Amino acid sequence: MQLELSAPDGAPARSWAGAPRVLALCLPDLPVQRVARDRGGGPAPVAPLAVVADGQIVACDAAARAGGVRPGDSAVQAEAACAGLALVPHDAAADRAALEALAEALLALAPAVEIADAGTLLLDASAAPLSGGGADAEARLAARAVDVAAGMGLRARAAVASGRGPARALARAGRGGAPVPPERTAAALAPLPLHALELPEAVAARLRALGVRDAGALARLPAEGLAHRFGAAGVAAWRLARGEDATPLAPFTPVSLPVEAVELEAPVESAEPLLFALKRLCDRLAARLAGRGLGASRLALVLALDLRGEERVTIALAAPSAAASRWLLVLRERLAALRLPGAVAAVRLEVAEAAPAPAEQLALADRPEQLAALDAVLARLAARLGPAAVFAVEPVALHRPEAAYRPAPFAGRAGAAPRRPGRAPAPASGCEQDEAPPRPTRLLPAPLPLVAEGEGGRVTALRLDGRVLAVESLTPPERLAGEWWAQPFDREYRRARLAGLGDCWIFRDVTSGRLWLHGFFD
Amino acid sequence: VPDQRQLIEDLRERIRRIERRPPPCTRVVPAGRPAVDALLGGGFPRGSLVELCGPPGSGKTALAASALARAGDEGALGAWVDGRGELYAPALAPLGVDLARLLIVRPASTGGRARGEGSPRDALWAAEALLASGAFAVVVLDVPLAAGARARGGGASAEAMLRRLGGAAQRGGAAGLWLAEPGAARIPGVVRLDVAPGPGEPVVRRAGAPGAGAGRASHAA
Repeated sequence: MQLELSAPDGAPARSWAGAPRVLALCLPDLPVQRVARDRGGGPAPVAPLAVVADGQIVACDAAARAGGVRPGDSAVQAEAACAGLALVPHDAAADRAALEALAEALLALAPAVEIADAGTLLLDASAAPLSGGGADAEARLAARAVDVAAGMGLRARAAVASGRGPARALARAGRGGAPVPPERTAAALAPLPLHALELPEAVAARLRALGVRDAGALARLPAEGLAHRFGAAGVAAWRLARGEDATPLAPFTPVSLPVEAVELEAPVESAEPLLFALKRLCDRLAARLAGRGLGASRLALVLALDLRGEERVTIALAAPSAAASRWLLVLRERLAALRLPGAVAAVRLEVAEAAPAPAEQLALADRPEQLAALDAVLARLAARLGPAAVFAVEPVALHRPEAAYRPAPFAGRAGAAPRRPGRAPAPASGCEQDEAPPRPTRLLPAPLPLVAEGEGGRVTALRLDGRVLAVESLTPPERLAGEWWAQPFDREYRRARLAGLGDCWIFRDVTSGRLWLHGFFD
Repeated sequence: VPDQRQLIEDLRERIRRIERRPPPCTRVVPAGRPAVDALLGGGFPRGSLVELCGPPGSGKTALAASALARAGDEGALGAWVDGRGELYAPALAPLGVDLARLLIVRPASTGGRARGEGSPRDALWAAEALLASGAFAVVVLDVPLAAGARARGGGASAEAMLRRLGGAAQRGGAAGLWLAEPGAARIPGVVRLDVAPGPGEPVVRRAGAPGAGAGRASHAA
């Protein structure tokens, strides 16, 4: 009894007060999970699997464990214990990348995510009540975090508690369950074995010798002499066992644009299995982008070919999007139009360009199915006709009529200020008139030569391709000239009503004096 | 019979829901000119094609632009298949068209008048894809196609390809405006408006439609 009351620094009930609410997400046997996932197989492989580093088992799957394999065994021991065991060398960098990818995706749920160790992520759960859900907001957050991990192809278990240490210890020990209220932290930790507190083995052994077997017993030890007998590690474990951990999270910040890749089990020559693999890549990539509040505006699909080289396809989206379903629509179109020189051995999907996914900027934001339809048809058109054949137009302030616009990518977005009828766009600089004369709706790609026919200095008819067209009316000339520095031009334009053709835009080349038909007011 | 029409409308709506297709925001796209709207019963019908036929300078392009501007006012997108390579987009902005919301498709094979007409096959294919996509309220089709022509490089006759456009418009719920010059290929079974240059605005007549006499003319205000 005396042990329980001996806290030196006041009431233990208040010790959790400064601790942040933390959701710990533990990925058991991450090295094995990742290998199984990246093999691109569907469900879990049947063969027992273990990951080896320096001749020692680092992690193994359930089938291997059932066969008697334990982490820490030597590879030889493991192979002897379990028939048919597949040994895979440990790739710490790939594990880390998988963990970072998951952390990125989890940023969609929490303001901060920390990569605590090689198999645990810590999420700042303090904002959970803000996202609604009332009393079980934290439980819902935990369930969603597990779902996000499942979406990335990883199995996880979650625990919510006050302080990063307690949450992590609970998750790693598999004692998640319902979120632990702050005042119950120590009680929830009490049944955990000592190794769950990650004490150095020497300290744990000495504690065990004293009869301290779990966190509860450790928490009841008197503070006096603790540091003296067990050192700093002992004090830290004692504080942790009492649920005292106010250290803030060290948030993870993603740096580069996300990439996801998968190696295909067998080389693939048709689109369907490729799309199947791509769907999972899209889901993972979209989750990671959504975590950053971004949408992809350009994707790069890299298909590693079985025999030689790789095929790279860049895909532009009509609007930045983090919706995997929209990407897939476009990818499907592009794959259908693609002729591959060989079988595909591996697929990589990169976000080549990302932008904050705007919600209100889009003309079709309230009609997502139309936006998806737009993406799909743009992709089909670009695949068959070439990207240059599909465009929107931007006006350019130049006098030369054929140069007064340029193609721009079509985004389906509303222009800055939609122009109303009667208000012509601002005329090019140096133009003294307020209102530019109307322009023809059709401009011939190459002007057609005209021959004037008339009497007494008046043009009464124009000859075009041998046809004589009577001139019914003619406006005063508008002179357009410029570009003296490069390709000077000097033209006198008139609007002429020609019998049988309607309103035409004709010009006289001032330097040569010749007449041309340039367009129609159609 | 109005009751029957209502019944058919209701059934259409139910089928649309079953097929989970986007609702047509409006059944017509106004032409923006009262006289033309009156000829068409409110405007260009979505889900079908209308042919605008007239000589090069008659004003049919401006009429199509006017419909695009009305559609843009309601936040919808427009597309223009520029099979002749002649569309002069800067002239559309003063007519009220938001150029950022107008998709222009200009297949590389477009020739223009001087160089002879290129293969309309790509343009017709693009037209069908755009009409059926469901992303556009108005799709203007300016594809040079002489009557009886066969699309180069393929077996399908122009008539057959044109007939498919109607089905595509119906699938995608787009108003398709087919711009044609006199003597060009006709689309079978499609409402045709003849456009002729008038003293002020162009004169538009409805031709060849059942129930509307070819002689009934209307002058735009």
